[in-house]
Amino acid sequence: MSTFNVAKKSLNLAPTVRTLPSGVPHASRLNLAARAPAGDHHGHDHSGARSDVPRRLTGAYRSPSAGLVSKTFSTAPPTTNLRLLHTSAVAREAPEVPDFSDYEAKSSSTNRALSYVIVGSMGVLSASVAKSAVTGFLETMAASADVLALAKTEVELASIPEGKNVIIKWRGKPVFIRHRTQGEIEEARNVNWKTFRDPQSDEDRVKKPEWLVMVGVCTHLGCVPIGESGDYGGWFCPCHGSHYDISGRARKGPAPLNLEIPPYDFNDVDGNLIVG
Amino acid sequence: MSFASTFYNAVAKRNSVYVSAIFASAFGFSVGFDAAVTSFWDKWNQGKQWKDIRQKYIQEEES
Repeated sequence: MSTFNVAKKSLNLAPTVRTLPSGVPHASRLNLAARAPAGDHHGHDHSGARSDVPRRLTGAYRSPSAGLVSKTFSTAPPTTNLRLLHTSAVAREAPEVPDFSDYEAKSSSTNRALSYVIVGSMGVLSASVAKSAVTGFLETMAASADVLALAKTEVELASIPEGKNVIIKWRGKPVFIRHRTQGEIEEARNVNWKTFRDPQSDEDRVKKPEWLVMVGVCTHLGCVPIGESGDYGGWFCPCHGSHYDISGRARKGPAPLNLEIPPYDFNDVDGNLIVG
Repeated sequence: MSFASTFYNAVAKRNSVYVSAIFASAFGFSVGFDAAVTSFWDKWNQGKQWKDIRQKYIQEEES
């Protein structure tokens, strides 16, 4: 055991720097106990020189009567009384973290929900703005109110007697309006329309059974058919001999489709028909 | 369960639900915003619009 201690002592070198129990660093050959020259202490003994006079530099010379004497002080006197600025950090036992508890969220679930609400509200606003921008841009392409007003035609229905045709002009095209009699309605509804070239029931072609509204352009090559003629009591196209029945359906001849139905509406208050 | 965690579990947990909820509320918001602005406009311009003064002229024509 003792031999081991001897070996350990020989292996471990003495520390070059160590701290005394009083906290003063121990460095041999440095005389920390050296004192400043008498009369240059600051502060404590007021019997000495005033502390606010300029201090002497480290090296100074005086010329007493004995001749020129140069003297170097072992310790330089401090140049100021208070040294407030220093670059050396204060050593601490452990890093001291500031107390952030006042700034932390009280509840993490509330904090999370609040974040999602804020992000979501931003999304709601941007989506709304984007939608308004797109619709505003698309509305510039829509027809203006005066164009829409010109694109409609009104007809007073009371002026059309039963069993009569009226041809009006709507967007440059003729429109047939037929006030059908009860017999014509039954005739149009009782035929087997499923065998027609363009199968369509009469109920699909009219909104009110007594009023038949059609665009008066033959679906073959665009002539205007003649009313109350043809083999089926409806319309007959003189150009190539297409026959339409009392519901405007193509029954005979080269016409491939039934006569077209324009968009129309009834104004029951004024008794008007509005085409367009 | 608090309101915050209820909201998170119902809306924000799945991104699909979250984005759909955003678009749905954007639709509702634009409708409500439009209604609010229109009512403010009508209140601000009260008595100046045609629908406010129409009654006056229609009566004069009838009489």
